[in-house]
Amino acid sequence: MTPPRRNTGFMGKIMVVDLTVKTIETQTVSQQIYRSFLSGMGLAAHVLYHNIPKGADPLGPDNMLGFVSGLLTGTGSFFTGRWMVTGKSPLTSGWGEANCGGHFSPAIKRCGVDGIFVTGISDQPVYLYVDDTTALLKDAGLLWGMDTVETETQLLKRYPGARVACIGPAGERRSLMAGVSTDKGRMAARSGLGAVMGAKGLKALVLAGNKRIGVHNKEAMKRISRICSKWVQLQPPFLPGFLTAPVGALLRTMPWVFTQDGLLYKILLRKWGTVSMNQISVEMGDAPIKNWKGSSRDWGFFKNLSANPDKFTKKQLRKFHCYSCPLGCGGICTTTGRYPFTHKPEYETVLSFGGFVLNRDVNTIFDINETLNRAGMDTISAGHVVAFAMECFEKKIITLQDTAGMALKWGSPEAISWLVDQIIHRQGIGHILADGVAKAAGRLGQESHAFAAHAGGQELAMHDSRNDPGFALHYSAEPAPGRHTSGAWLYYEMYQLWKKVAAAPRIPLVYNKARKYETTSIQAHMAKANSQFMNVMNGAGVCLFGGFLGARRIRIFDWLNAATGWHMTPDDYMAAGTRIQTLKQAFNLKHGIQPKNCIVKGRPLGHPPQARGANKGRSVDIKALTRAYWEAFGWDTETGKPTDRQIDAVTTVL
Amino acid sequence: MAFFITKDCTGCTACQRICPTHAISGEKKQPHIIFDPACIDCGACGRICPAGAVADPFDRMALNIPKKEWVRPVFDLDRCTACHICIDACPANALDAVLQKVKDLHPYPVLTREPDCMGCGFCAAECPLDAVILEKNSNS
Repeated sequence: MTPPRRNTGFMGKIMVVDLTVKTIETQTVSQQIYRSFLSGMGLAAHVLYHNIPKGADPLGPDNMLGFVSGLLTGTGSFFTGRWMVTGKSPLTSGWGEANCGGHFSPAIKRCGVDGIFVTGISDQPVYLYVDDTTALLKDAGLLWGMDTVETETQLLKRYPGARVACIGPAGERRSLMAGVSTDKGRMAARSGLGAVMGAKGLKALVLAGNKRIGVHNKEAMKRISRICSKWVQLQPPFLPGFLTAPVGALLRTMPWVFTQDGLLYKILLRKWGTVSMNQISVEMGDAPIKNWKGSSRDWGFFKNLSANPDKFTKKQLRKFHCYSCPLGCGGICTTTGRYPFTHKPEYETVLSFGGFVLNRDVNTIFDINETLNRAGMDTISAGHVVAFAMECFEKKIITLQDTAGMALKWGSPEAISWLVDQIIHRQGIGHILADGVAKAAGRLGQESHAFAAHAGGQELAMHDSRNDPGFALHYSAEPAPGRHTSGAWLYYEMYQLWKKVAAAPRIPLVYNKARKYETTSIQAHMAKANSQFMNVMNGAGVCLFGGFLGARRIRIFDWLNAATGWHMTPDDYMAAGTRIQTLKQAFNLKHGIQPKNCIVKGRPLGHPPQARGANKGRSVDIKALTRAYWEAFGWDTETGKPTDRQIDAVTTVL
Repeated sequence: MAFFITKDCTGCTACQRICPTHAISGEKKQPHIIFDPACIDCGACGRICPAGAVADPFDRMALNIPKKEWVRPVFDLDRCTACHICIDACPANALDAVLQKVKDLHPYPVLTREPDCMGCGFCAAECPLDAVILEKNSNS
């Protein structure tokens, strides 16, 4: 007789796969772990902290790769279709995490587990197949070498209705910019975890389970979801795409600003997707230009018209919704390049291969987007590497001899496409660049370190920390550095946490923009709340864009209580966010990462300040910011190390 | 908790063939058994069993219903937000997301593989907006 079905939102088990000895087992996870760290990223932090030995080689057998789903996934809540890949990152040698949407997240839970953890190394390429009654490692010899779309197509022919996550050639070749793909082009791209999967010889996960996901109070879940849906459906007609640039210019020039409401951002996302920010971001100084040395003046209104969001939606055949998303910011588009279709390029991709390399050819962006998705490579890191190479070429660190005669000139679509192909195939100069800008600068030497923009080895994203110093802080001080989704002042405004969380500082309705550039305890507590809340969202599997709706419109804390039957307050959940943050920091310290060494340097901080453009004269006092942030957590203000007592409190939970 | 098969089973294999999780095993003309951990309580075995040999998790005998009278989902597109929760909830993989509304690029759910639908109603149960209505098969 089986025990009654668990009605707690989470499945209470994990699957552990050892590729070396080819064993698969399920392990029960205690209720206490879920209460302390939730599920998703928090559960992964707990498992990986205890199972990856100190000093493990990220590409060796001792590293453990976790594929985890969120606590709220499959519970009748909205925006909760995120799944995460975690492990020791080969890019940073510390905590690595990547986050993705699509339809893979519920598939993990429908196999009866909250996470699948893979250790060891297989001597032959394999894929993992799981359904309701079986879990098997199968030969992937014929799939090895295929791109992500081909791999998924082949596997779905064999297993109709299953969900697939796989790597492409970039992961197989262990490029440290490789990610994991699902839904033929949605990528868990960051932290180089596709290379870990490739090193393990694991080509794909194929999940075909049908287990039910029980919740404590189904009616309450639906009631809260209906409140959320009401706000999402509110969609007044909006501007034509080209007028988004003047909106950005207005935001740049106003000395006083209104607290930004995520509802406005939601309207933009529903109409265009993330490409809605292409022009606004450049005008307001949020988008870095020309490898962080350019400005909005180098990529002004007319040049940037190439990124008019209407140009992207014109090519859109249909919208793409991730699981449980009522918004649908994604899309499937036609392209004129090598491939007939591609997922609509995201803002990060458009800027990485647009203003960041001064490229005005949108068709190239579509083509590179699909090329990199198929290769299974992170478009943010790849864009950084291309820009880095172009600056190296400009400064004669890379010469025509190195590039087989291809001139790596800023903005040249041919040069960009050629270089991307070289990097994917690790050919010629591509072999030097395929592991990210930090490794490339180490190989090329000379002055290239000065313009290799990264945090602890991971490339930064397309959000300029000189415009919003919150990005500089979270790029620098998060356990997984260089990620833009961890937090920013803007995000904090949109979360509206002060409406639910007692300790969260309230933002006035209108404030002077100069306030953004101060370093006070208010900023530190805003950043702390950002990190805590992001950990709660990653534990619950909530999309960042859902969080932008604001705490009263998307009631994540209420959903968590209705799903689990717990009676925790928002402050209790934020405390769980602190525990997850401390555990990830403890993971880094265990593996010899010094948090202060991950702090961003040089241009992204405005050192030296820019002479013109939206961020003219701005610089970020990152040391003061990190000190205040670590102090807010009660950690050592110089080293970022939690106290022994804090570490013991999170590492002894069983 | 799962459905179970009583000794009245004639071994016709109808339940085994329809079970979406392959939880039922047994030789032809021999009593079949349900592997508890794999059962998702969709009830398809009970609806299809001609011998009335299947009991639900509460020990009530499941009622045999002619297949043409099984309920089918109908989608209220004015309420639906294209979140695809229903598509994922379908254990028979009978639903797909398809463009339907003019000038609306959101793909909404459609019952594209009607013969595969087992009338389990999971799609309706999971929908947070009550946009899935269960109706008897229009051919019945």
